[in-house]
Amino acid sequence: MKKGDRVFAIICMGLSLWLIIESLQFDYLSEFGPGPGFEPFWLGILLAILSIALFINTFLRRTKEDDEKAQLPGIKALGRIGLIMLITAGFALCLNTLGFLITVFLFVSLILFTLEDVGILKSMFYGIMFSGSVFLIFSYWMEINFPKGFLGI
Amino acid sequence: MDIFTSLMQGFGTVLTPYNLWMATIGCFFGTIVGILPGLGPGATIAILLPLTFGMNATSAMIMMTSIYYGAKYGGSTTSILVNVPGEGASVVTTFDGYAMARQGRGGVALGISAIGSFIAGILGTFGLIFVCVPLAKFSLRFGPAEYFSLIVMGMLTIVFVGGKSITKSLMSATIGLALGVVGSDVVQGAPRFVYGVPQLMDGVSFVTVVMGVFGIGEVLVSAEERMKMKTVDVKFRNLWPTIKDVLDSKWAILRGTVVGFLVGALPGAGSTIASFISYGIEKGAAKDPDRFGKGAIEGVAGPESANNSACSGAMVPLLALGIPGSGATAVMLGALMLYGLRPGPMLFTTSPDFVWALIASMFIGNIILLIMNLPMVPLFALSLRLPYRYLYPAILLICIVGAFSLNNNVYDVWMMWIFGIFGYFMKKYDIPGGPMVIALVLGPMLEYNLYRALALSLGNVSTFFVRPISATLLSMAGLMIIAVSFKAVRKKRAILEEEEEG
Repeated sequence: MKKGDRVFAIICMGLSLWLIIESLQFDYLSEFGPGPGFEPFWLGILLAILSIALFINTFLRRTKEDDEKAQLPGIKALGRIGLIMLITAGFALCLNTLGFLITVFLFVSLILFTLEDVGILKSMFYGIMFSGSVFLIFSYWMEINFPKGFLGI
Repeated sequence: MDIFTSLMQGFGTVLTPYNLWMATIGCFFGTIVGILPGLGPGATIAILLPLTFGMNATSAMIMMTSIYYGAKYGGSTTSILVNVPGEGASVVTTFDGYAMARQGRGGVALGISAIGSFIAGILGTFGLIFVCVPLAKFSLRFGPAEYFSLIVMGMLTIVFVGGKSITKSLMSATIGLALGVVGSDVVQGAPRFVYGVPQLMDGVSFVTVVMGVFGIGEVLVSAEERMKMKTVDVKFRNLWPTIKDVLDSKWAILRGTVVGFLVGALPGAGSTIASFISYGIEKGAAKDPDRFGKGAIEGVAGPESANNSACSGAMVPLLALGIPGSGATAVMLGALMLYGLRPGPMLFTTSPDFVWALIASMFIGNIILLIMNLPMVPLFALSLRLPYRYLYPAILLICIVGAFSLNNNVYDVWMMWIFGIFGYFMKKYDIPGGPMVIALVLGPMLEYNLYRALALSLGNVSTFFVRPISATLLSMAGLMIIAVSFKAVRKKRAILEEEEEG
């Protein structure tokens, strides 16, 4: 946890510097009160103070049981997360080209086949079931318009 | 129009086949998703929010409050049957609920939880009516200065009471406020932090943040390892609590209801604290406290009632002041805004039909939950046996579809994707997401009221300190900061003394 807190503090420190620098582009005050730069500037300052406090605290506080535990999972679990997010990103990338139904089918089949060791035919079956259900609920019942791909579906 | 007439009109709106159906669907899906470990009410409402798209505001909110109650009940099911609390407020339920399940009384524990939740939900909604209406009338006196001070105090309470680490909660809230400044500013309309992305002119979409952090983030945490759960069999013959069980629990239910409502109405305190306090009270009140932790029925009835009436309590600041007191009510506030409604005292004047229908739906939702939950417990328990590998692609799909359907644009899916990764790391590093989400909603209001208060007083900052209500609220915020700092210094001193002695 201590290591994680330090990383978080450093990231937030970067974020606070960015907020402060960017806020300087805007007017700090308007005619009667704060201008557009007022809030981001002070948020940057506050975040910087809190980041420093968290960073210093990791050196001062006693090591607790939580601190000993690794915060991130092993490479294998991180790989699973990465693959899930990659397939989700693929969904967003392919949606307009392939159309909604085919993208949902590929999304579910790929997740089950690559991540869950489900056989290819079974994965495809679930892919079809999910596409059908999502279509019925969101497209048919709720009348949401989804992109149709090159096949027109 | 008096309260009774307004409430009856509210029932008239809710008791249409369509709205009743929406309430039933909300209770069902809320319970099903709430059962999934790790998905609390905030995440459940966020994930199921897309189901309300395309509805009118009243039906959408009826469905959402039903999801809220359903998710609360669903969270208890996993606590009792598999010793895995669905959310913080259900942790206490594991102490005696799981012990009861191991003794073959899992059905009784679920039954008393449903009965306690029902009574607490009904009484809590009466409490909501009697507190909310006068509070809303009182808050009509609020001007921008009072609102600014109220938001400051509310946010500090959430930060100080909510998370494990005050520093991290404050950082989370600051990040939420920073996200809130993206888009056109309230003073000059100048684009801030937009970088040429036209979609950012309207700000960072609250729904994409919530679905990313609460929905995708939570799913990733659960999906990182192949989740396996051992369930306890629930048999029908064990399902119904006996008259003796109910009589043994009656005071626990009533005490839990009162505690839950009062604590739930405080910003930030919420149902987790309410359920712990209730458990403490029950243990303290028991003649033989040794039973607790070994399957005492009051140990389930009290906290479960507190947990549910805290939901009604949490609606008080949301409806009367427009200030959410918890992550779940922040999601509901965001949803209300999506439908063009502005919660707060004026809501009772501008949209009385909506408010009273919403309140009436809370009564109906509790009745539906009781009718649905008692016979359907075995079915809900069955859903725990569904392999998680089939559930998480479905949750991910709902989130993606929800984000897409906001503006029929892939941009929102990408935003949700980014916040999903962010949410995952927040969860792993124990950074509470609630303060960030609440700050994202309240941030623009804070800035707007600050500007308006100063504009009305011609730039005179003392306006916040000379107006009695504003001054009182700021004094309370100040006292809170002093108390928390004092406590932190005392704790540090105690640790140092301990180390010196050691």
